[in-house]
This record gives sequence, C-alpha cells and structure tokens, in this order.
Amino acid sequence: MIDNNNRPRRGRSELLLKVLFRPRVVFEDLAKSEPSPYRVFFKYLIWFALLPPLFAYVGGSRYGWDLGAEHPLMLSEAELRVVSVFYYFVLLGGFVLTAFASQWMSATYGARDSLGVHMAMVAILAAPIAFGSVIHLYPHVFTNLLVLIPVLCWAMYLLYVGLPISLGISPERGMLMASSLVGWLLVGFVTLLGVTVALWVNGFGPSIGI
Amino acid sequence: MSGLSLHQKLENNAALLVFGILFVSAIGGLVQIIPSLTQDSLKTPARNTRVYSAVEPVGRDIYIREGCSVCHSQQIRPLLAEVKRYGPYSRAGEFVYDRPFLWGSKRTGPDLHRIGGKYSDIWHRVHLIDPRAVVTNSIMPAYPWLAERPASAAGDIQANLRALQRLGDPYADADIEAAPGQLEGLLEVDALIAYLQMLGVGFDAGASDDDGAGH
Amino acid sequence: MAGNSGSNGEMYYHDSVVRFLVMCSLVWIVLGMSAGAYVAAELIWPGIDFGQPWLSFGRLRPLHTNSVIFGFGVSALMATAFYSVQRTCHIPLATPRLAWATAILWQVGILTGGLSLLAGINAGKEYAELEWPFDIVITIVWICFGVVFFATIAHRRIKQIYVSNWFYGGLIIVVAMVHVVNSLAMPATLFKSYSIYAGAQDAIVQWWYGHNAVGFLLTGGFLGMLYYFLPKQADRPIWSYKLSVVAFWAFTYSYIWAGPHHLHYNAIPDWVQNLGMVMSLILLAPSWATMINGIMTVSGAWKKLRTDPALKFIVLSLAFYGLATFEGPMMAIKSVNVVSHFTDWTIGHVHSGALGWNAMIVFGTYYFLAPRLVGAELYSVRLANVHFWLALAGTMLYILAMWGAGVSQGLLWLSLDHLGEPSFSFKDIMASMPPYYLLRLIGGLTFLTGAVLMIFNLYMTMRGRETLRVRPPEVGSVREST
Repeated sequence: MIDNNNRPRRGRSELLLKVLFRPRVVFEDLAKSEPSPYRVFFKYLIWFALLPPLFAYVGGSRYGWDLGAEHPLMLSEAELRVVSVFYYFVLLGGFVLTAFASQWMSATYGARDSLGVHMAMVAILAAPIAFGSVIHLYPHVFTNLLVLIPVLCWAMYLLYVGLPISLGISPERGMLMASSLVGWLLVGFVTLLGVTVALWVNGFGPSIGI
Repeated sequence: MSGLSLHQKLENNAALLVFGILFVSAIGGLVQIIPSLTQDSLKTPARNTRVYSAVEPVGRDIYIREGCSVCHSQQIRPLLAEVKRYGPYSRAGEFVYDRPFLWGSKRTGPDLHRIGGKYSDIWHRVHLIDPRAVVTNSIMPAYPWLAERPASAAGDIQANLRALQRLGDPYADADIEAAPGQLEGLLEVDALIAYLQMLGVGFDAGASDDDGAGH
Repeated sequence: MAGNSGSNGEMYYHDSVVRFLVMCSLVWIVLGMSAGAYVAAELIWPGIDFGQPWLSFGRLRPLHTNSVIFGFGVSALMATAFYSVQRTCHIPLATPRLAWATAILWQVGILTGGLSLLAGINAGKEYAELEWPFDIVITIVWICFGVVFFATIAHRRIKQIYVSNWFYGGLIIVVAMVHVVNSLAMPATLFKSYSIYAGAQDAIVQWWYGHNAVGFLLTGGFLGMLYYFLPKQADRPIWSYKLSVVAFWAFTYSYIWAGPHHLHYNAIPDWVQNLGMVMSLILLAPSWATMINGIMTVSGAWKKLRTDPALKFIVLSLAFYGLATFEGPMMAIKSVNVVSHFTDWTIGHVHSGALGWNAMIVFGTYYFLAPRLVGAELYSVRLANVHFWLALAGTMLYILAMWGAGVSQGLLWLSLDHLGEPSFSFKDIMASMPPYYLLRLIGGLTFLTGAVLMIFNLYMTMRGRETLRVRPPEVGSVREST
C-alpha cells in the first residue's frame, strides 16, 4: 500500500493486481500501515470513481441505453455528459461518505479510527467495482446487472473478510461492523434510487410523460 | 408528573396499556376513513356509470375468483403517459358500485379500466383460452376451463344480487327474478367477456368534470 | 397441557405449545415459500400451471401471501409471544388449554383457508382474500390469542409490563381492529360475500387495513420478538429504555396513517393521499429509533458471535429492517411513487422486509430458542453459518433483480416519444422482464434452500427430546428464569 518508503512507480499497478487477486495480503499490509487520507483520495479514489462514468458515457453514446424494450433509448450528447458527471460525483461522494460512516462506527466497535485506513479499505472494495464497470461499455441493463451483481457480491465478501483485518478487530466484531456498513450502503443506494427518480419526475432529466 | 413516570403508570396497568394502544391507534383511521364514508363525491355515480346488470356481475365474480386483479389494475392515474396509453384517468364516481374495488396494486399485465370495446368478443375469447395465441410473449395464464363451464355454475346469481341490493345497489326485484334466465346458454367465458366489455365504456371525459373528487 | 403441574402443585412454563407453534411455522415456511417460488417460476414459464385452475397464478399467489403472512408469520409470532410473555411475567400461561386451542384452530383455519383460495373462493381484497366464514373463525381465534396473552399479563408477578409485551399487545389489538372493520361484508352464500364498502371508500379502508397488517403484524409483532430475544441473546439489556418508550408510541400512532400511500394518484381525495405521504415520512423516525436501539444493544455483545450463529441473523435483520423502513417512506413520496407504483419495485420492497427482516429475525430467534426448548446444543453451528450466507445472498439477489425490473418498468411506461405518444408498447416492456424474473427466482430458491437447511438443523436438535420443564422464579425473586 502507500507507505513511507520510496517504492518505485510500478508499485501502483502491482498493488492493483494484488487487490484484485490477492486481497487478503493487501488487507494485512493495510493493518500495519497508516496511509494519509489525502493520498488515498487523490491517488486511488478519484481514479476509481472515474471508470464507471467513463465507460457509461462511451457505451451510452455508441449504443444508447437499452432498457430491454424494442429499441435503446438514445440520449443526446449533452444529456449523456450531464448524467456522466453526476454519476462521477455521486460515486466519489459515496466512496468518501462510506469511509466517513465507517470511521464514525469505529468507536462503537473498537476499531482503528484513522480516516486514511477507512478510505484505503473503501478503495480496496471499490477497485473490483470500478474495473467491473467495464460492462457499462455495453449499456444493456440486464447484462450490466448480470455482471455487476457478482462483482458486488465479491466486494461484500471482501468487506466481511477485510474489515476486521484492516481495522484490527476480532472477526466477530468485524462481522457486526460490516453488517452495519452493509445496512448503510443499502440505505445509501436506495436513497440514490429515490432521489434520482424524484428529480427525474420533477423535470431534471429526459422528459417523461407525467 | 414527568412523561416517563406517567408511562410507568401505563406499564404497571394492563388495562390502561390496552386502552392506550386502542385509543392511539384508532385516531388515524377515524380521521382518514370517516370523511370518506360521508363525502358525496365518493358516493355519487359519475356520468353514465351504472350498476353491473344482467351477465356482468357473474363476469366480475369470475374476474375476482381467478385473481385477475393480481396482475391487472383498473386505475388510470392522471399522468400524461398513462392517459395517452389507456384513456381518460379514473374518477372516483366510476367505482361506486364496485364491491370490492378492483383497482389492483400491480401491473404485470396492462390496466383494464377502459378496456371495454377496445377488442372484439372473439379476440377476448381466444385470448382468455390461450393468451399466447394473440400476444406472442405473453406470460398470462391460460383459462381453458372458462369455456367448459356454464355461467350459471359460477355462483348463485340471485343470492348475489340480493346481497348487493341489501347493500344499497339499485337492483329491482324484477331484475333479480330475470337474472338466471339471462345466463341461459352462456358459458363463464361469455360472462367474463361481458364484464370486460363494459369496463370504462360510456365515460364522457369531455363532459363536466365535476364529479366532486376535486382532482 | 395436563401434566404441567407437578404432583405437589409446582408450576412450569407451558412450552410445549410453543414448540408446536414453532414446528407449524417451519411447515409453513416450506409451503409458503415453495408457493412463492412456484408463482415466481410461472411468471417466466406460464405453462407450468398445466391448464389446472388450482395451479393458476391468480389462485396460487394469494396462497403464497396468506401462507407466509398468516401461516408462517403469525405462528412464529404466537410461538414467541407465548414463550416470552410467560417469562416476562414470571408466570405460566394463564389459560393453557385456550393457548392450545388457539394454536391448533389457527393452523386449521389457515390451512383450510389456503385450500379455499385454490378453489377460487376469494373475497377479492389483498391479504384479506379469505371469505367471510374464515374471517369469522380467524376473528374468534384471534380473540382467544388476545385472551391468553392479556390474561397472562393480568396475572403477572412482575409489576412492570416489559416492552416486548407492548408490541405483542399492539399486534393483537390493532390487527383485530383493522381485520374486523375491513372484512365487513354482506354474505350472499356460504362462500361468497360483498364488501359493505364500495369503490374509493373501499380502497381507503382496504389500505388502512393492508398497511397496518404490515405495520402491526409484520413490523410491530416482530419488534416484540426483537425486544425480548435480542437482549436475551446478547445477554445485555436494551440500550435505551427511554428510546423504546418514545418509539413505541410514535410508531403506534403514525403507522396507522400511512395507508393512503398505496393510493397515490388514485381516485381518492388529495388530502388523504398527502396525509398518508407525510405520516409515512414521519414514521421513519420511530422505525429507525428502534433499529438503532437494537444495533447498539448488539454491538456490545460481539463476543457471543464466536459461538452463537443466531446473533448474526439478528444483526442482519436489523440492517434490512433499516433498509425497508427507509425505502418505504421514500416510495411513499409522490414523486417517487409516480415511477414505483404498480411495478416490481414494490415487490422488491415487500421482500426486502419479508426476507431480510421478518424471516431473518425468526431464523435468529429459532436458532436461539429451539436448543433451549429441549435443553440441548444446536445440532450444527456450521450449517447455521452456511444458512446465513444463503439467506443474505438470496435476499440481495431478489432485491436487486426487482429494483432493476421495477425501475425499468416504471420509467419505460412513462416514456413518450417525440410525437408525444408512448414510446414502447406495454407488452414489449414486459417482454424484457423474464431475465429479472429468473434472477429473482434464483434468489428466492437460494433463500428457501437456506431455510430448509435450518429446518433440518432444528429437527436434528429437537428430535427425540422432550420439551424442557422450566419453573418460573420464586415469588419475590428479581432474576429472570432463563
């Protein structure tokens, strides 16, 4: 992970490979280090959050969003840009807020409360999601669900395994804290769903027949 | 006396607790239901709305029996896309004879509130016996038994109409007498089609919209 | 039952009726969830009703809902109510024979009622499909349930009525009220009646009933279960007594008003809709207060997780409770409801609560309760852990599939083309749903598989063992007996 030694540049891609294929090692390294939240944010999170909207923008402009009925919905370039930008900031905001929520919960569960550690943990979970979002290049909703659901399951599994390791608590406490975070994530997601729909119905988005 | 010590009294007295729960939980219902029971606009038939007559009540009972409401709604909302797709939105006055109401809570199939007259009797017959014969990817169940049973087997039409009459629906005794005769020679599928063909028919959206519902 | 008093008049808790109800609820899980899986499959392959009326979707669906709510849900609530009211009052059930009659008659009522639904005997109102003879039987049995419960409380040997009993009490009283009022009908023949309410009035009464069946049966009653079994399992008291008081009354008051959110943009007065919406939003507060109370109670008990699989289920059930009680008010907002009404999003919401909250808290409670009923260890902790992951996976698959389907449907139905006409035909939109339905079916089957593992586990734990005879503490003792 990010440490105070001067590691060579290829450290970042090596790290990414480890995150995707040997996450346990990365969690154990994290347990021993104290990354700076700013470094995690600027070195990893802002780039991870960029991938899904980028893929969505490319896929959306090439194919249009296919909700499964007859023909795909073509959004205009301007609309696509706005949606992608919103997607980016919402995703990035979600990552950061989750790190804060996790930090807020650490007192209750006796976990390490350094923000950088929580950010790094979220970044490790975000990595498979960011790379899995390559499926956005083919914006057929069901196909995306088919690929992203296992990705999300994997991320959830990483959460349960990695949280106790990185935050230095017992597996049992980790289980409780991870479940609370899952609750937070579900609520956050459904809020997004609701807010998006409510905004759309009230005119912020392609027009629909209200 | 602080709130918590007041609550101690409730916690130490079962009768008080029971009464407290009943009282607190009754309020919402009283406020929301009583006005609706007395409000004229919810009881006055809309223009051209009439009781289910002749074979139609039998058809309606079959609709309920087969659980059609579970997939089909009968409630067009005042939303542009919905009105474009289904017709004028549903007014309260159109449902004054609906016992029970069949507005539904899920659309696995399309809304049926104004299905009357949109398809021919033959279409409905074929569709009910085998939906996939007319709608290729339909997931609607097939109802072949409807074409095998006489309409009179669906229930005791006179007892049913008398019950509705007792509830205040305007059925004349003569109508009730004549009812079984009107079912003669008909199958359940015919009764159901008769019901479907009168749904939403005759509603005049262009006429005065003053059904009092206020929306 | 006879034999509960020793030869010298000692008293024991009446737990064999609890065991009976637990076993009945397990049977209902299999019946009800299998029916659910079957109807889910019918939505993909409609031909699997083989042209038989009693296998038809329209008849099987109410069988599913009635089996899981009134069969599984109520049996689990009766079991845990009887178990906990005795122990929180330090006295055996006041009327044990009536308790047995209640338990048995309830099973008979719901079973015959379920069969009647397959025969097409249907009153036409959701979660109130059973016709008037069954309504009367249910009412009588429910009153008996109330008598057993409140008589026990009236004879209690602890002055204070514990919080779990307020919730079970609310369950009994409010469900009785809404059931009786909503079921009022004019009978025509033995199996056919007509609602005394018509049209818009009927809609308002029905959803006052429907929402409060959810509120006081599926939420309130299960909160009673939570308030008793969670502190027992965590071996610590509820985190905040004050919070539980405020939450209970706020909950009991607000929930009642939320019914009209089922009728947004329908032909009922605007003021009723708006009132329903606002109260649904307010309801978020007491719901989450309870969730927080639960989570804070559990967080101090983490050491128990090492040996106790049950606690894992309770924790997860609280997370899903939080989700469902947040999503509900959100969907009650008219702007959101415009898209969600009539879609699979509603189904997803229902099942996040039913699977994630109701079923999971019962699983957690049963893993704790069953071994204690017979004085043994749980047969296999490992199997319970496998069950945990299956339950979580199944619920997540279900919810995600339904979110995908529901939001797609809602938006596509509203989509207009450049000429202002609907962009897509209804049938084309629905033709794109089967993949979601398949995902949902897999989720449901995964969940059911986990439940079956539990049933095997509990069977192996309890088989061949007598129900333990437990004595209430001595008069004047302040210790809880279990």
